[in-house]
Amino acid sequence: MFLGVDIGSTTSKAVILDSKLNILSASVINTGTGTLGPEKTVKAVLSKAGLNEKEIQYSVVTGYGRMTYQKADKQITEISCHARGTFFLKPNARTIIDIGGQDAKVIRLDEDGRVKNFAMNDKCAAGTGRFLEVMARILDCRINRLSVLSQKATEEINISNTCTVFAESEVISQLAAGVKRENVAKGAHKAVAKRVAGLAGRIGVEPDVVMTGGVALNKSVVDALEQEIKEKVTVLKKPQIVGALGAALYAFEMIDM
Amino acid sequence: MNRIEEIIAIMEDVSRYPAKAIRESMEETGKEVIGCFPLYTPEEIVYAAGMIPVGLWGGQKEIKKADKYLQSFCCSIMKENMEHGMEGSYEFLSAIIIPAYCDTLKCVCENWKAAVPDIPLIAMVYPQNRKITAGVEYLVNEYKRVKDELEKISGKKITEKELEESIDLYEEYRKTMSQFVAIASKYPRTIDAKKRHSIIKAAYFTDKKWYIPLIKELTTELNMLPEEAFNGIKVIATGILAEPEVLLDTLVQNNITFAADDLAHESRQFRTGVSNSGTPLERLALRIAGNQKCALLYDEEKTRGQLLLDLVKEYKADGVVVFMMKFCDPEEFDYPIYKKELEAAKIPMLYLEIEQKMDSVEQIRTRIQSFKEMLTV
Amino acid sequence: MKESKTSKQLLQELLNQHYEEALEAKKSGELVAWSTSIAPQEFLETMDIKVVYPENHAAAIGARKCAQEFIDNSEARGYSIDLCSYARVNIGYMDIKESVAGNIPMPDFIFCCNNICNTVIKWYENIAKELHIPMILFDLPFNHTYEVPDHSVKYIRGQFENAIVQLEEISGKKFDYDRFKEVMKISSETAKWWKQASNEAAARPSPLNGFDLFNYMATIVCMRGKKEGLNLFKLWAEELHDKAKRKEGPWKDAEEKYRVMWDGIACWPYLSDTYKVLKKNGINMVTSTYPDSWSIIYDSNDLDGMARAYSSNYANRNLEFGADNIVKLVEDFSLDGIIFHSNRSCKLMDFRQYEVQRKVSRRTGIPSVIFDGDQTDPRAFSLAQYETRIQALVEMMEQKKKERANRE
Repeated sequence: MFLGVDIGSTTSKAVILDSKLNILSASVINTGTGTLGPEKTVKAVLSKAGLNEKEIQYSVVTGYGRMTYQKADKQITEISCHARGTFFLKPNARTIIDIGGQDAKVIRLDEDGRVKNFAMNDKCAAGTGRFLEVMARILDCRINRLSVLSQKATEEINISNTCTVFAESEVISQLAAGVKRENVAKGAHKAVAKRVAGLAGRIGVEPDVVMTGGVALNKSVVDALEQEIKEKVTVLKKPQIVGALGAALYAFEMIDM
Repeated sequence: MNRIEEIIAIMEDVSRYPAKAIRESMEETGKEVIGCFPLYTPEEIVYAAGMIPVGLWGGQKEIKKADKYLQSFCCSIMKENMEHGMEGSYEFLSAIIIPAYCDTLKCVCENWKAAVPDIPLIAMVYPQNRKITAGVEYLVNEYKRVKDELEKISGKKITEKELEESIDLYEEYRKTMSQFVAIASKYPRTIDAKKRHSIIKAAYFTDKKWYIPLIKELTTELNMLPEEAFNGIKVIATGILAEPEVLLDTLVQNNITFAADDLAHESRQFRTGVSNSGTPLERLALRIAGNQKCALLYDEEKTRGQLLLDLVKEYKADGVVVFMMKFCDPEEFDYPIYKKELEAAKIPMLYLEIEQKMDSVEQIRTRIQSFKEMLTV
Repeated sequence: MKESKTSKQLLQELLNQHYEEALEAKKSGELVAWSTSIAPQEFLETMDIKVVYPENHAAAIGARKCAQEFIDNSEARGYSIDLCSYARVNIGYMDIKESVAGNIPMPDFIFCCNNICNTVIKWYENIAKELHIPMILFDLPFNHTYEVPDHSVKYIRGQFENAIVQLEEISGKKFDYDRFKEVMKISSETAKWWKQASNEAAARPSPLNGFDLFNYMATIVCMRGKKEGLNLFKLWAEELHDKAKRKEGPWKDAEEKYRVMWDGIACWPYLSDTYKVLKKNGINMVTSTYPDSWSIIYDSNDLDGMARAYSSNYANRNLEFGADNIVKLVEDFSLDGIIFHSNRSCKLMDFRQYEVQRKVSRRTGIPSVIFDGDQTDPRAFSLAQYETRIQALVEMMEQKKKERANRE
């Protein structure tokens, strides 16, 4: 049995594979880097599969918190793991967009699923999940409702600022000027999509484009991204676990090789 | 500890504690010290004046005082230098030389007058049209001005002979360093990316007369060893400088080594020699005229991409690592041009946006590790 | 008989004509140059080579609120968001070649003068490389001394002579020194009238609404060496002079309550927003550090004088001059306050701003504010922040007025 753990800034994910590469179980816990989240998610994924720790032949950890998690046999970056996981699920994928809490990444794959090139956001939080959280807070809306709110928009407003702090004051003054919340929400999604599209532009976009990571569940971001990069964006069934799946695949290879 | 390890340890000590090294040099030689801002300053003239030139390339201080003069989007080397100056950590300097290669340097030089009035400033400008006669003449005049200022500080005239001797010493330094980096590339484990950096950096804080023999000895000792097998990744480093050190640690951890570099702080300092004809100051001016492929020297052909391609080929490197000093306009403008050229040649590239003091290096660690995984998987 | 036109009508006509002529020239196979905004255009005018100014064009694109598309294009190719937005817009335009703000022909060579910044060297190097065209560079060393030193003048003059040779090679034509003398004369004369017109704003109330300076600036950039330009600025100066005599202020519907100076380039994408906030508060921007950069005045046929004049714009001068210059503006224009634009695009202007502000404040006692913005990148400006800062300035200016009234 092979375990992959993906410790992000806001969530911890785990996947267990058997030696025929079937997914036995997966788990997502809403606690990120630290000790609690990773432990909980590993415990959950083991119990779902009805396994105990000793039955794991090899484990790989990935994600933002991979350096601090000591229990895995090996650590590999989320770039490689998202690539591996995505390619496994969708061999036609050539471009992966992964928007996480802290980072946004664009990864290009070759025909064999190897990473050809990748780009990550700079220090600025615009274009990441963090930006959407700030926007949700201003709009007094739960983060998972932001997309729904945005779908009700009647017109498209522009949030022009790159800087999250600036964007915050821009949005506040737009609300004060009577702009509707749903229109602002739509603008926020578009702003994120624009930043990520800019990132993608740096290394080029080649279809099929696949989106992974938690933000992929947000339909408004996906729609806006499709508009910006002018390509269809496929969202995998459980986009959050793709990194952990890739890690588990690596774990399998370590033994198999 | 063998001799190689000994010399490396000495150099690492100098690089880690520059102030201590400088004070020791001052005590041993009895010489005064002149601070030299990036990128190129006429160190030869300083040395001929009987003083030691030391390089001021920032540091890792938390920025507090420099914010009085510089906005947040100023390059960190200049912010660090301002901070150090205002903090008093440059108090042992008899003067500083600031050359105006870029817009930020122009402004820092002007602010220095108000911010650090106790350390005399020698401002100078290097011509960008440096190859035409008028440009060479202008630079000779600037050098003369610097020479006059230094003579005022030291209280004695610099003779032609002293200048010639100083130029000879610096030529020896440049040759020694070129040999060292060429040999070092064959010993990637003994001279890893971090050690290489420390050894080259130590030159900025010591008397060249002390430094050169040690590097020669190190090079000779290395040369006697068999070439080291290496199964990691060999890269060409480009940019202003390869810091903070934690980046180098991460590179070493990931088995990535520098086959050669195009860093302003390292090889760009010594890869071009002086001209043999003319007066001493003309020889120095012609050295700048012949200096190419640096983001801060006008180059309408933009030959830097070709230089990187040549280095990759010559050293059979696996890729190029870009140390992009955040807010460095000249470097940021060069990037899209050589990026395109490297991409066309299918050379893998790792882009690291850096500041001298970085609060979080996690993302950079991920980038470095991913780069390694990309090339080895 | 033709009805006489106002300078504003003429301004628009001349700008249109300028772009049309350049496009036409390109079509008929003539040479076209791209030039920085304060370059010695005399050489190009003498050789009758059509010129367009990417800074002007980028500003126009910014003002038409369509910069983002061009910025996105260049950023996608690896240009950092921290670089000058004029450069990012222009480099994006080189690829897209189409804008609702008007089009410009691609250059056959470029003409670059770094008296405004060293950034233009890098920007123009990249244009030359991308388009495989020659580049003529005028390197005007930054003046760390108060005045331009003699050896700089000699170096600049040497470059002038060098540029003539380069131009003869590029165009295959001989340089006409008689015509050059004439162009030098016109250029200085135009600059004098430009200065004269902007000085009319010293009257109280000012006949000039200072944001007009930004509008007329496009023309001083591209028409300085032409008779039409000379006539335009003469006309404008006369109009303002008459208005001042009639004691007419900047606006028909509002009173000039405060007189301020604007340091730095405009925020083109928010030109009317920034203007309206000032007007709402009765603030007239009567002068600025920036437009004076085109007051390039020297004796005809004096190449040394021309070299000195081109190297004497405030951006290329030391901090002491920068402070003296503003102190003089405060006195000459009876200013109540100063607005400093901390422009993300322009490090050369920004990184002296804090110290200049302190020096000016110590010497004049007038209040000032700094706001964050950008000349063309719409993402780097926040109207809310700007409004708050302006309001703070008004409160400080009001306080000063009261103090003055109490003393009297």
